[in-house]
Amino acid sequence: MKRRVVITGMGVITPLGHSPAELFAASVKGETAVGPITHFDASTFPTTFASQVSNFDLAKWIDRANRFANCGVNTHYALAAAKQALGEAGLLDANTGDRSRMGVYLGSGEGKEDFDILTSSTAAATAEGSREANIGKAVGLLFRRLNGPQEAEQEMYSPSGYLANEFALDGPFASCQTACAASSQAIGEAMEMIRDGEADVMLAGGSHSMITPLGISGFNRLTALSQRNDSPKTASRPFDLTRDGFVIGEGAGLLVLEELESAKARGANIIAELTGYGTTADAFRMTDPHPEGRGAIRCMADALADARLQPTDIGYINAHGTSTQANDAAETAGIKAVFKDHAYKLPISSSKSMLGHLIAAAGAVELVITVLALRKGVIPPTINYQTPDPDCDLDYVPNRAREVRFKHALSNSFGFGGQNISLVVSEFAG
Amino acid sequence: MLTGFGVVSPIATGADAFWPALAAGTRGVRTISHLDATELPSRVAGEVPAFSAKAMMTETKYRKELKSMARTVELGVIGSQLAMANAGLAKGTVPPHRIGIEFAALMGATDLNDMAAAAKLASPGGEHTDSRVWGAKGLNEITPVWMLKFLPNMPACHATILYDMQGPSNTQIPGDSSGLVALAEASRILRRGLADVMLVGSSEARINPVTLSRHNLFVQLTKRNDDPAGAIRPFDLTRDGTAPGEGTAAFTLETLEHAQARGANILGEVAGWAAGVDRGCKGPGLARVIHNALAHAKVSAADIDHVNAHGTGTTAGDAFEARGIAEVFGRETPVFAPLSRFGNLGAASGLMELACSVFALKHGELPPTLNHSEPDPACPIDVHVGAPRPVTKPFALKVSYTPLGQCAVAVVKKWQ
Repeated sequence: MKRRVVITGMGVITPLGHSPAELFAASVKGETAVGPITHFDASTFPTTFASQVSNFDLAKWIDRANRFANCGVNTHYALAAAKQALGEAGLLDANTGDRSRMGVYLGSGEGKEDFDILTSSTAAATAEGSREANIGKAVGLLFRRLNGPQEAEQEMYSPSGYLANEFALDGPFASCQTACAASSQAIGEAMEMIRDGEADVMLAGGSHSMITPLGISGFNRLTALSQRNDSPKTASRPFDLTRDGFVIGEGAGLLVLEELESAKARGANIIAELTGYGTTADAFRMTDPHPEGRGAIRCMADALADARLQPTDIGYINAHGTSTQANDAAETAGIKAVFKDHAYKLPISSSKSMLGHLIAAAGAVELVITVLALRKGVIPPTINYQTPDPDCDLDYVPNRAREVRFKHALSNSFGFGGQNISLVVSEFAG
Repeated sequence: MLTGFGVVSPIATGADAFWPALAAGTRGVRTISHLDATELPSRVAGEVPAFSAKAMMTETKYRKELKSMARTVELGVIGSQLAMANAGLAKGTVPPHRIGIEFAALMGATDLNDMAAAAKLASPGGEHTDSRVWGAKGLNEITPVWMLKFLPNMPACHATILYDMQGPSNTQIPGDSSGLVALAEASRILRRGLADVMLVGSSEARINPVTLSRHNLFVQLTKRNDDPAGAIRPFDLTRDGTAPGEGTAAFTLETLEHAQARGANILGEVAGWAAGVDRGCKGPGLARVIHNALAHAKVSAADIDHVNAHGTGTTAGDAFEARGIAEVFGRETPVFAPLSRFGNLGAASGLMELACSVFALKHGELPPTLNHSEPDPACPIDVHVGAPRPVTKPFALKVSYTPLGQCAVAVVKKWQ
């Protein structure tokens, strides 16, 4: 018998709220925070809008927040979400429990990139009319201009490392970057670490922001982002025929995963049980999913098998639902292949219609929404759904939340690079 | 079971050349030649000479994808290819859903020439950049696949496509500990029966303008520019910093049943692992992780032939690592630090360094640590130097860590 894993705390920093309760309330109302990018002047970019975190102040969450002044927002958001999650779980006090049995698994990405210095130094080393920089000169300029203390905090071990140091989580750690699947993968593998007995508690999830000049540039060149600049709030329209790309978001989501007996022994409040995990690769293309959902099908099926559930046991799917042509069609095809007739009776919604796409943080934040939907019996909608797509003909809970009681839900995350992750959460039934 | 090894490194390319280079004491840290580094304080590194992904890529149809690969991705793809070939695992020899990948890689650095034309438009004076001009005009000068060239998960992505690996695919990013974290996760995946074979790979290319200039600002890098081969001095009293390296190290990891059923050549065995955080890099936390790894492998400190240290040659890093090792092993167990031979390969350091012990156990001979001559009282361990030492016990223990105290440890066993 595998050790069972339950959720005992959750925390988020998102464009729709700085706590799970705020986020869920806004989701049920169908709100969106998508608007013009204010983090930098993006007014001439092909895409000028995003789903940004606003009114965030690290000092509200962390003592002596200026210790983290040089860190990127990926670290800031992660610290604040961790504070909430560990607080809810009753594990903030470093003297509580055996800290060597508590670890961190974070899906995260790059930190703060110094766009101005990187590009202006390159320009200064490039002769008029040339497409090649004088590298020796550029190296010297970068060395003299870049801010050393700030650069030191942008290494990829930093966000996960600071979580462990700040919250006394001395046990196993890992940090992955599998694009849009990263935080779901972190949660799934963290569950396996608990099941295998390597840890009793894992703080798992993700944190990311790519709302930077280089991030928007990269996605714009790949033509992955919606360019509906005249109507940002309706731009993210998963499963709608007129969808034209995803809306980029930012934020963090972290969950406290805990071995069941450990949670019971210390009288923790059990929010839900994490029962299933599927992980596969498409092995198809760099950015496009397999059109028939090849990897996604086995991933969802594996997660159900892992949870020892039948397709008909699932009462809700929180879809990856990015609002790109390719993803939404492939995901729909995959859901039909796995759930057969039940696919048409099953409410499916995409939180990205409201939140945008939080990239490495997306899966964890969406799992928080899924858990609250399960607990409250209310499924948040897919907003901006107007024009049905013949290839996407399932029940996407269009535009209005729906009250439905269910015991098990599935959350999908699929990433650039072909990684597929499905998680199953279940009502904790003792 | 470790059944295949692929390597491109500053001291050798290919599994067959790796052990002879280690045994011969080949030194791969040299004056930087990939680019003009004259304006940097530290100008030595472990460079891979004359690497051509195009020439080495055996899947000729896939060469067109090289335009979407930064050097770190190229290295990772070639390392994966070499490991699969070394293991005798051609595409299709394992059912697609029974083979997966765990990779260790960090965000690559952008090639400045990919953005030079755009930068020139948006920053004509070279002082500041106008993001409005960048968005309106500059962006058109940038290749559409620009971002894909350096994303951490791209080596794994290409490898899954090349070898039709449809099992789990993950990419670890916790700095120098990434390789051992990936190895542990791959082992866990095999143990829970999710796959029969996992490719465990790693790559990093640090000899580029952005990474070098950044690391010269916040990493303690050696100033021994006039003595590159002797510049990195692990646990030595006169050590003054590390030097970056580049390369790729990849293993194929299989269940014993699968390896034996196909008659695979077994290089060694992953016996155990552990990871944990030593807050403030004090030493006892690392010692705890070492104890956990020994317990996980069901062995005691007395069973360990040698400790394979990260030994980067930094003042604080080596002292921290030595404190942790000493707390468990005292001066009883020889410590071997191979990094002075090829530089700090970052995400690729863990598996590259681990490979040195896998081959030492296999060949029954432990090469010496190079550039260690004056013991440091702050490093109370027995650093193995001088003549090669016969291997007397079947286990070796490998240590990796990050500057935030994220320690990963693996125990490997000689295959008998």
